[in-house]
Amino acid sequence: MDGFVTLKDVKKRYRMGEVEIMAADGIDFRISKGEFAVVVGPSGAGKTTVLNILGGMDTASEGKVIVDGQDITSYSQKQLTAYRRDDIGFVFQFYNLIPNLTALENVELALQICKDPMDAREVMEEVGLGARLDNFPAQLSGGEQQRVSIARALAKNPKILLCDEPTGALDYNTGKAILRLLQDTCRVKGMTVILITHNSAIAPMADRVIKIKNGRVAEMARNPYPVPVETIEW
Amino acid sequence: MKRTKKATRKDFYMEIRKSRGRFLSILFIVTLGVAFFSGIRASEPDMRLTGDAYFDEARLMDIKAICTYGVTEDDVEAMEAEEGVACAEGAYSADFLYSTKDAQQVLHVMSLQEKMNQVTVSKGRMPESAGECLADDNSSFAVGDQIRLESGTEDEVTDTLKTDTLEVVGLGNSPCYLSYGRGSSTVGDGSIRAFLIVPEDTFDMEVYSEVYMQVTGAKELLAFTDAYDGRVEEVLKRIEALADDRAVVRKDSLKDEANEKLEEAREELEDGRKEAKKKLDNAAKEIADAEKKLADARKQIEDGRAQIADAKMTLSSKQKELDAARVQYQDGVAQLNDGKAAYEEGLLQYEEARAEADVQLQTGRQLLDGLQAQINADEERYYALLAQIEDLREQADVSEDSLDDTGESAGEPDTGPDQQIAALEAQAQAVAARLEGERQAYTLGQAGIEAVRREMDNAQAELTAAKSQIDAAEAELAAAPAKLSSGQAQINSGWNELRSQEQKLVDGEAEIVSNEAKLVDAKKEYEEGKAEAEAEIADGEKKIAEAEADIEDIELPKWYVYDRSTLIEYSGFGENAQRLGAIGRVFPVLFFLVAALISLTSMTRMVEEQRTSIGTMKALGYSKGAIASKYIGYALLATAGGSVIGVLIGEKILPYIIVYAYGILYQHLPKILVPYDWGYAAMASGAAVFCTLFATVMACYKELEAQPAVLMRPPAPKNGRRVFLERIGVVWRHLNFTWKSTIRNLMRYKKRFFMTIFGIGGCMALMLVGFGLKDSCYEIAKLQFAEIQFYDGSIYLEEDITEEQQDELEAALKSEKQISRYMKANMQNITLVNGKKECAAYECVFGSVEDIPWFVDFHDRRSKERYELTDDGGIISEKTAKLLGVKQGDTIEIKDEEKGNKQVKVTQICENYMGHYIYFTPACYEEVYGEEPEYNSILFEVEDSDVNADLEKIGRNLLKQDGALSVSYTHDIEKQLDDMLRSLNLVIVVLIISAGMLAFVVLYNLNTVNIAERKRELATLKVLGFYNMEVAEYVYRENILLTFLGAVVGAVLGRFLHLFIIETVEVDSAMFGRNINMPSYIYSLILTVTFSMLINGVMYFKLKKIDMVESLKSIE
Repeated sequence: MDGFVTLKDVKKRYRMGEVEIMAADGIDFRISKGEFAVVVGPSGAGKTTVLNILGGMDTASEGKVIVDGQDITSYSQKQLTAYRRDDIGFVFQFYNLIPNLTALENVELALQICKDPMDAREVMEEVGLGARLDNFPAQLSGGEQQRVSIARALAKNPKILLCDEPTGALDYNTGKAILRLLQDTCRVKGMTVILITHNSAIAPMADRVIKIKNGRVAEMARNPYPVPVETIEW
Repeated sequence: MKRTKKATRKDFYMEIRKSRGRFLSILFIVTLGVAFFSGIRASEPDMRLTGDAYFDEARLMDIKAICTYGVTEDDVEAMEAEEGVACAEGAYSADFLYSTKDAQQVLHVMSLQEKMNQVTVSKGRMPESAGECLADDNSSFAVGDQIRLESGTEDEVTDTLKTDTLEVVGLGNSPCYLSYGRGSSTVGDGSIRAFLIVPEDTFDMEVYSEVYMQVTGAKELLAFTDAYDGRVEEVLKRIEALADDRAVVRKDSLKDEANEKLEEAREELEDGRKEAKKKLDNAAKEIADAEKKLADARKQIEDGRAQIADAKMTLSSKQKELDAARVQYQDGVAQLNDGKAAYEEGLLQYEEARAEADVQLQTGRQLLDGLQAQINADEERYYALLAQIEDLREQADVSEDSLDDTGESAGEPDTGPDQQIAALEAQAQAVAARLEGERQAYTLGQAGIEAVRREMDNAQAELTAAKSQIDAAEAELAAAPAKLSSGQAQINSGWNELRSQEQKLVDGEAEIVSNEAKLVDAKKEYEEGKAEAEAEIADGEKKIAEAEADIEDIELPKWYVYDRSTLIEYSGFGENAQRLGAIGRVFPVLFFLVAALISLTSMTRMVEEQRTSIGTMKALGYSKGAIASKYIGYALLATAGGSVIGVLIGEKILPYIIVYAYGILYQHLPKILVPYDWGYAAMASGAAVFCTLFATVMACYKELEAQPAVLMRPPAPKNGRRVFLERIGVVWRHLNFTWKSTIRNLMRYKKRFFMTIFGIGGCMALMLVGFGLKDSCYEIAKLQFAEIQFYDGSIYLEEDITEEQQDELEAALKSEKQISRYMKANMQNITLVNGKKECAAYECVFGSVEDIPWFVDFHDRRSKERYELTDDGGIISEKTAKLLGVKQGDTIEIKDEEKGNKQVKVTQICENYMGHYIYFTPACYEEVYGEEPEYNSILFEVEDSDVNADLEKIGRNLLKQDGALSVSYTHDIEKQLDDMLRSLNLVIVVLIISAGMLAFVVLYNLNTVNIAERKRELATLKVLGFYNMEVAEYVYRENILLTFLGAVVGAVLGRFLHLFIIETVEVDSAMFGRNINMPSYIYSLILTVTFSMLINGVMYFKLKKIDMVESLKSIE
């Protein structure tokens, strides 16, 4: 079956002087719409390359990336930007909020370039920050910042929510809370969420787990019974 | 340890290589700052050096002294002997007039000096003999021109010079005249147009006009410096003291001389008096003689008349006589004829009688002869008797003698002889008696004969006489007719002569009459002569009295001792250098500050950026010093490198350009000297190095103090802050987020905010000052002649203009259709005094007070409030007031060395840019001077003043009038001014270019820092799907806002800076505009914005290059 997101034999080569490094050496996977997918693998396995290509921040040297029926590998820089703008919601490991905009404004910032945005306040309520709209990022905790970051990504009403180690900079409980939020978002809103992490402990909560090793997909498994976040521990 | 060092060193080099842009930008900005700072500052000493080199080469004098009575050889010698005077030299100079076709110029003629003030010949040759001259380079004279000088006063040119015509044999310049100015004069229109240099012997003066001196050791000192001024001042004081002594000496010698002359004059007067008397006496005597002669002549004429009368009578009687003679002659002729007849008859009788007489005579003679014989015989007897007697007597005598004793007795003896004797005697007696009878008979006979003969002879004589009588009478008669006719002729000629004599008499009378008239004249003349002589003598006496008084009045001569500041433009040169210094103190400092701040931020930023690396090093156990040394070394290398390059380039190029620019004004400076000024170099480099190093050390210190762990963690994010604007909900709500973010960003990075504003503001200010300087300088001509002085020209009148000429001139003015109005005015150079401050100014008195607004507008510069010229006092120009330090309502003085200063009240102070003026109404003038103003010029205005050709035509027409001396046009002055100001142009261009460069570097640097600091944020935006343009806009918005904010700040800063610089830069003789024109603001803004845009353009590529992967990285 064709997935909502399909990667077909995606290769990415970097030239470092004489040496050619294969960051991705034929990655294949499919993710269906509304799935909560986790891409997991150790450092240097090619996760970030996948993220970059999927996020439209980089292009594949070979292969195809099809998102919602569109092959983004053939996109120009401009099209890629439009793709990022309209189709992708990005959640960063370090939140990457604009420091001198309030939480609400950070969300609104993303919305102003968007075709079909959601209401910023609503989204903020949804992520549980209804009371901290007017706080600046520096006044928020890491988890709160990540919630703003998620709200910012969600408010754009993207096709895919792309999360890069969203818990990486957070403590255990906060991390769990965030994962919970992401899972809920997926379940409640039917949002396709792709979470990239080195933490394989998170895998059980996903609908689909894609393990990457040495630039290839080592294993792709559909998890028919994803567990709630609360039950997993690491 | 060695390895470590090697590693750190490598790290250091790698750092430079990696951040080449940053390194170069620090280097470049320091180069700029240091170059500008040290360059412009060095311009001041370089300008002085250039001037000083020229002065030394031309051996310019240090001290000049003049004396009211001239400078004598002794004075010069005394001065030369004074301590501190290297040499002294007397020189001559005088001002003359030179008339060309349509103008009259004042020329300053000076003698060529041997020891000082060397003249440079640019064309032709030096003058060698009297009558030759070297003309001013800046004059319109050419080699070969003949210059005929006029004195401009009552004295002849030849009183001063040996010749009044000079031939130009060369052109050249004198170190005494640095620039265009030639000074002022007391003759002509008062301003010297050109100088002429002549050999010393051209002057024919007893004393030198001035003495020039050089001060020992002054040559080695730099002109315009305190050291030089101090040295000269020291000697100047001594010279002043000496001059006081010399003045006394001079006074005494002058008095002696004058007394001597007075004595001579007295003698002369005495002689004159005597001579006059003698002459008068002679004249009187002559008149008396003439009178006597005239009387004589009159008498002579009387006599002549009498004589003529006599002569007439004589002539008449002579005529009568002649007539009688004629009758006599007739009678004579008749008598003669009668006589002749009688004679004939007589002759016949005589013949008859003669024959009879002859017979008688014969008989008579025979009788006589017989008688004679008897007589003889008787005589013989007688004598014999006598002899007998004698013998007897002798015998008797002898006896008598012997009987002498008895007288009676003697007689007795005689009885004997005596009787004999007596007998004898009786015999003798008888004989004698007979003899007597015989003799008587003989005599009778002889007498008879004689009588007959006599009768005959008589008759013959009678006849002969008669004959001769007749002959004579005949001859006489024969001569008589001739005589008669000659007599008649004589009489006739006598008449003629008489008539001519009469004529002569008449003539004589006429002559007498005329002589009488002459005599009367002569008498009159005599009287006059006498009166004149008396007057002359009285005059002479008066003069002597005056001379005596004058001698009493001979004052102590006044000496004036000057330093070089007496030279035209000399002080100006120094002031210009000073002005450069003023610019140098303000401009480059600002420039330098900006540069220093930029390098400071860059370094701080660098240290902050390398926080993790510092932490790592620290964690690895490197000492603080070792870590810091990298950054300190980096800063040091960049700053020191920049400083060296800046000094090397800046101190050569900038001073050269600037001094070169001033060369337009001081065109005779032979070469431009721009040595390195290590003082300023050290100052600039030191400051630059110190600033950056200090900043680096401080930044390092802050980082190094922290724990390595803290350093390795990302710094706590800065708090977002609400800005003031948010509180104004209306505005804030209408801003979109990018704007909100922009504004908050600006507020957040305060350092950067102020740096950028200060940087851009500084550039804007510098450019504004550059353009503004141009405005201020260029505008003054326009302001002066468009808003203050409206007249298009002025005609200077001849000094001795007659009323008739004046009327003609006015008629001519009226007849020129294009002249819309004109007004008489009195323009004069005067010196205004307030306390110790002096200022040369133009005194301007307007002929008609009502017309003033048509010619000059008095108003305040700021408020534009109109002033009116009143009779209470004068209005003075703004700069004049400033120089004198007077305010409205103060009283100032007009310098008058002869009669004492005049006081005048300043009623208002008016806007004015060029020159110094004091304006009066005629009434006020009269009050101040106590006399009516003499109008020496006419101001006029034409309809369409833009057409210069027409204006000049009008001028020429007017100059044809006798009373017009010269015409000057406003636009000429404007042009002249423009020429002068061109020199500033280059300086301004340098300023603008430098400011532009600074702007560029500042903006580039700040933007680079900005982008580097916010790479992550920008990458995030990109990831969020912002297009490149949108990302750029996000940054640009800040830049644009900052640019405009900076521009506003710069405009304000520039305005003040401009004001400050203008006040320090402007020359004494003019006031530069205080204005900056709108276009200048616009140009500066456009340039600033352009630079900003350019930078933004460059930044776009930098932004585009930002990798989105940056956003995934952890915060450094």
